[in-house]
Amino acid sequence: MGKNGDVSMGGLIADVREMLKEQVEYRELLRQMTMRDLLIRYKQAIMGFGWAVFMPLVNTAVFSIIFARIAKIQTPVPYPVFAFCGLWAWNFFASALRFGVASLTSNANLVTKVYFPREIFPFSAVLVSLVDFAVGSAVLVGLMIWYRVPVGLNLAWFPIVLVVHVLFTAAIALVLSMANLFYRDVKYLFEVVISIWMFATSVLYPMDKVDGLGTLVQLNPMTPIIDAYRDVILLNTAPGVPFAVVAAATVGFLGIAWLFFHRLEFKFAESI
Amino acid sequence: MDLRVAFDSVSKKFRRGERHDSLRDLVPAMAAAFLNRRRSSETLGDQEFWALRNVSFAVRAGEALGIIGPNGAGKSTSLKVLTKLLRPTTGSCMVHGRVGALIEVAAGFHPDLSGRENIYLQGAIMGMKRAEIAQRFDDIVDFAGVNAFVDTPVKRYSSGMNARLGFSIAAHLMPDVLIIDEVLSVGDMAFQQRCFDRMVEFKKQGIAIVLVSHNLQAVSRLCETAVYLASSVKASGPTIDVLDAYVRDSNKLEPTVDDGAIELRSIAFVSDGGPATTHRDVAPGAALKLRMEARSAHPQDDVTFGFEIYRSTDQLLVYNGHVHRPELGSPDDFNGEFHLDLAFRANLVRGHYYISFCILHNPTQAYLVQPRQVGTLAVAETRSRSGVADVDFSAALSLPVGTPARR
Repeated sequence: MGKNGDVSMGGLIADVREMLKEQVEYRELLRQMTMRDLLIRYKQAIMGFGWAVFMPLVNTAVFSIIFARIAKIQTPVPYPVFAFCGLWAWNFFASALRFGVASLTSNANLVTKVYFPREIFPFSAVLVSLVDFAVGSAVLVGLMIWYRVPVGLNLAWFPIVLVVHVLFTAAIALVLSMANLFYRDVKYLFEVVISIWMFATSVLYPMDKVDGLGTLVQLNPMTPIIDAYRDVILLNTAPGVPFAVVAAATVGFLGIAWLFFHRLEFKFAESI
Repeated sequence: MDLRVAFDSVSKKFRRGERHDSLRDLVPAMAAAFLNRRRSSETLGDQEFWALRNVSFAVRAGEALGIIGPNGAGKSTSLKVLTKLLRPTTGSCMVHGRVGALIEVAAGFHPDLSGRENIYLQGAIMGMKRAEIAQRFDDIVDFAGVNAFVDTPVKRYSSGMNARLGFSIAAHLMPDVLIIDEVLSVGDMAFQQRCFDRMVEFKKQGIAIVLVSHNLQAVSRLCETAVYLASSVKASGPTIDVLDAYVRDSNKLEPTVDDGAIELRSIAFVSDGGPATTHRDVAPGAALKLRMEARSAHPQDDVTFGFEIYRSTDQLLVYNGHVHRPELGSPDDFNGEFHLDLAFRANLVRGHYYISFCILHNPTQAYLVQPRQVGTLAVAETRSRSGVADVDFSAALSLPVGTPARR
């Protein structure tokens, strides 16, 4: 918390400055934590990063059979490319959060023994999943070549889409890791929510093909993000207005989540 | 000199049991924390207790402060406040400069990673930059003595190797303030000695040290000042005085039946500077005398005077001796007021000692005066000696007769 820790503008600015300063100071730790988690993840696993490629491929194959052969969904690009692109982006989101939700509690040892900004834990969970995401992109490129899906100039939007997606994921990871520290139920609740959430998002089918689900589905911020990936990579169009709204909301959401996290941080060691 | 640590009337409140029992409690509590509105800090709620109460101390550059006290006295809590892990309920804690904490030195280690990977990880946890770690990497490995195992996963290390590596990383951090919790107990004797030497070196370089330890020997050797903590500060000041207070409290005994039959009125060293119960700067081998003024309620004959010297820092019994009253010859018995002189030679080496005295009634084996601490001694260092007794060691060098003298 800022020196005075109040809710005034001055206190707020002091806090934000402290938050950013700490991240710069401890950037080496963020790097090391991410390295640690990557190393541990693939140590003693023969396939190593192969798993980051293999799992979404298996899923794509399964869903291709279900949705392209049985349900016969119409998609603007061949279904396997459509589905893989969605699963690829979604898996980054889901695995970052799955990892992030337990990131504070599984490092209880460090949280209670050594001081450093605790944001490092959820942030490194996001970065680790981002590495898998990068590996998975090779498969997407392969599928696009196989199915002859061309890319266009709108691919230039890709970094912006990625940044919004990463920031959105980081904001949720901050909230979930903190909530799970106070209440371990969050971890279980998360598993339920994330599987339902996937089917309420345009991961495996375009949302405009689904009707009668109401406003809740339209408010789902993940749909514009997944759609934006397809727009800029597969369809060569700019992201739509819903994405712009989500991008703006993400910045605000991350700011509040981070501030909240920062102000409750001092309670972590005694509450874990 | 510059102030490095200022602990100013710090109090810390803890709660027994769980903090929140349901989500219904959590939401208002989080909202309150977010808006930083807390309940009145000064009062204790149900289930709450003070782990620290109005604790103050300060450490300057190049100084070492020892924190001693029984288990649960708040020693670790105060270190957690110092390292920013806990925030004081009231009061303030200021630490200037980079803080190195030797608390659970291997906390950041991951068992599946190699020694090398863990050095970089742990270094980063302690706030070192990559270049700094790389530069000191060889020193760290050498100091820990794990050269042959740098690329072995830490899970295959012995617990001693683990702790040594942890300490070694922390010892190469070059902090401004070093906070140490009981780490001197890790590793073998040779390693402990190296750690100790390292801390002495740190002090010379102007690093401020806060040491928490039950090893009073280490506290007395390293720290000029100390704090005796039992939630609140029981004693603070020069290490010898604080150790005395702590040892005296730790040695309190239950009263026995006949205790009080003899009343000790005063007891003090007979010295040039007037009577005192603490004798500082005793030269090894000095002749000392304690004079006691007492009063007995009954005539006493068959009693034993017991005299013991303990080393304050580790409770080592250095000497135990006793005298039966009949061996003293006249007077046959004593009653009412009497004087007793206890004379001894301080054949001791550098350190802090206390003297325990008792009077035992032989026929009933009951204490007339319970064993109690009656005086303390600090033997000043004259030459480099350590150990338990001063045996007046010397060395002489000579050549066998007839050896031709060299040019």
